Amino acid sequence: MSKSLVVCACMATSGLGYVWQKNAIYRLGDEIKKREAILSSAQKRNLMQAAQLAHLESPAELEATCRACNLSLVAPRESQVVRLYEPGPEWDVQMAAAPLATRTAGQQQVQLRLRNPQSRVLAQQGL
Amino acid sequence: MTLAPQQGRALIVAGALASIFTALAFRLFDLHVLQHKELSAMAQANREQIVHRQGRRGSILDANGNLLANSLSVHIVTADATITAPHASEIAEKLAPLLRTDVESLTQKLSGQSHYVRLSPRVKLDEDAVQRIRAMKLKGIYFEDQFVRSYPNGSLASHVIGFVDAEHKGVQGIEASMEDYLQGQDGYEVIECDRKGREIRALRTEDLGPQNGLNVVLTVDQVIEHIAEQELDKAMEQFKPQAGVIIVSRPKTGEILAMSSRPTFDPTDMAATSADARRNRCISDVAEPGSTFKIVVCSGALNDGIVTLNDQFDCENGAFMYAGRVLHDAHPFGVLSVEEILFHSSNIGAAKVALRMGPARVYDYVRRYGFGRKTEIALPGEVSGIAHPLSRWNSLSITRIPMGHEIAVTPLQMLMAMNTIANNGVRMKPMVVKSIVSEEGATVLQYQPRAVGPVITPRACELMTIALRKVVGPEGTAPKAAVGGFDVAGKTGTAQKIENGQYVRKYYSTFVGYFPASDPAISILVSLDDPVGDVYYGGSVAGPVFRAAAEKIAEYLGMEPQAPPTEVTRVS
Repeated sequence: MSKSLVVCACMATSGLGYVWQKNAIYRLGDEIKKREAILSSAQKRNLMQAAQLAHLESPAELEATCRACNLSLVAPRESQVVRLYEPGPEWDVQMAAAPLATRTAGQQQVQLRLRNPQSRVLAQQGL
Repeated sequence: MTLAPQQGRALIVAGALASIFTALAFRLFDLHVLQHKELSAMAQANREQIVHRQGRRGSILDANGNLLANSLSVHIVTADATITAPHASEIAEKLAPLLRTDVESLTQKLSGQSHYVRLSPRVKLDEDAVQRIRAMKLKGIYFEDQFVRSYPNGSLASHVIGFVDAEHKGVQGIEASMEDYLQGQDGYEVIECDRKGREIRALRTEDLGPQNGLNVVLTVDQVIEHIAEQELDKAMEQFKPQAGVIIVSRPKTGEILAMSSRPTFDPTDMAATSADARRNRCISDVAEPGSTFKIVVCSGALNDGIVTLNDQFDCENGAFMYAGRVLHDAHPFGVLSVEEILFHSSNIGAAKVALRMGPARVYDYVRRYGFGRKTEIALPGEVSGIAHPLSRWNSLSITRIPMGHEIAVTPLQMLMAMNTIANNGVRMKPMVVKSIVSEEGATVLQYQPRAVGPVITPRACELMTIALRKVVGPEGTAPKAAVGGFDVAGKTGTAQKIENGQYVRKYYSTFVGYFPASDPAISILVSLDDPVGDVYYGGSVAGPVFRAAAEKIAEYLGMEPQAPPTEVTRVS
């Protein structure tokens, strides 16, 4: 009697387990489907926004915006540009040897530092 | 023995039941065994659907990764008119504002007998609009995904980028030449649907996802392209020529940084463009190069040691009789050195240099510079130009070819010839595609600059640069092409146009040059076809465009202006 009860219980459990598992598969399938739709939608939006961003960043659009906002933005003149260099060993030698007058303002600053070891140490320490 | 009446009835019932079950069993046998093949196929067809999924076409990017073209997935609205017909006007009123169409035409479409109607094929809906239509829960209204090609910069670099047709296949430009890399591969899914037509995801049996196309990275820089086009547009406005071209490149690698021609077109509005505007004149139009071609003859003569920069030639005061015809100079010159012949652009001087070289050598250099054959740039529609073989030369050819007559070249060929001089005599193959990258950004294919071969020696290039620097000097033909802070080397060209076999008073005005001359980083060719007005010389028309573009490009690239150019040592 008890054996048959155990067998019945096992069979019932297996049946219920099977049904539960099937349900879980379908439910997960539905969730995968929803997420696939969300992913696809996000990818589409992403592409759309990439194109929109590219349009907004296009030189013509930026110029038009500058004009519309009356920002009067212009490129700096050469005299307003200070060029910074990353002195390496070879460059140091060249710069130290070059006549000061032939250099731009930025180069002169670096060159003066090179010729003054104290300031160069400070520069290397980022001070 | 007789049966009891109830037993008889029981037998009848049992017999009837047995007959029914036998019939049912037979039917089951018939359905499951005899008709199994056909019926299972029908059942599968009812349940299963094959859904095709289109692979997205790859993007086109500029040298800095800025998007120049990409494919967007949009929705178009379709309808089953047999379902929508009873409520056509009601549905049309709801949809018309979203589809940007009128109610009458929409009602007409929705009232037909077709199972598939595209309600508004030209209106591409975004996700928000689709959600709004879905929320209306209209019966018989469906959505279809479709890719459309987007060009965020409009007409910028349109001749290089090209465009696609209705089937999303490349027709022109990079879109056509890189079709194999750009096109995606379609995929498919085998799905099963419930009674409402919704997919049961768990029963998806096959899922072969689409493969998106690869991205193509160009050597073109969108800012330089914009600068070049802006300056070309200004010249088009000022001189009202029939057409114009501008090409910017790096002479040492052959990379094309900008390439544009006018008239142009907007690939987002193909209906409004003409075939003439779609033509990339930089590679598909040929014209006599005029005086820019003097660089070929003079560099060849210098290379072979036939002349030096100081060698003197009598320029006959502007009229030189040869083979029964008189050759003229724009201005009369007396005795000029080779250097002066170049920067004064004397036709007679160039002709006399060529006569000293002989036809065979001249033709040899024409071919070595790549004229008469395609440059093999990765763009469709390139032509070879015309460089007649020696056998077809007449007695005048030796004096006409050095001044850029009897020969036809594309603007790109002319620029590549100038680049050869800028690159120590090594001719480079023009390069417009930098790399092919995957969607994730991994490099699949990296293109390298390719040298076609040496044409002249570095020494001859040095000598040419000395002379070409003076072209933009106060004595030269293009002082307006001088760029502040940089030494420029270049050559002007003012070629008469031919109409109906006769030279007419219309001109191709060209300037081609490179800077800094001592260490060339950028080369630019500007050419205008038939500028209107009294000013038509290359130095006056194309020279200022070169200067304006060069100044802005140098500024954008952060090129440091040079110290005032030092006196160049002249070497005999």
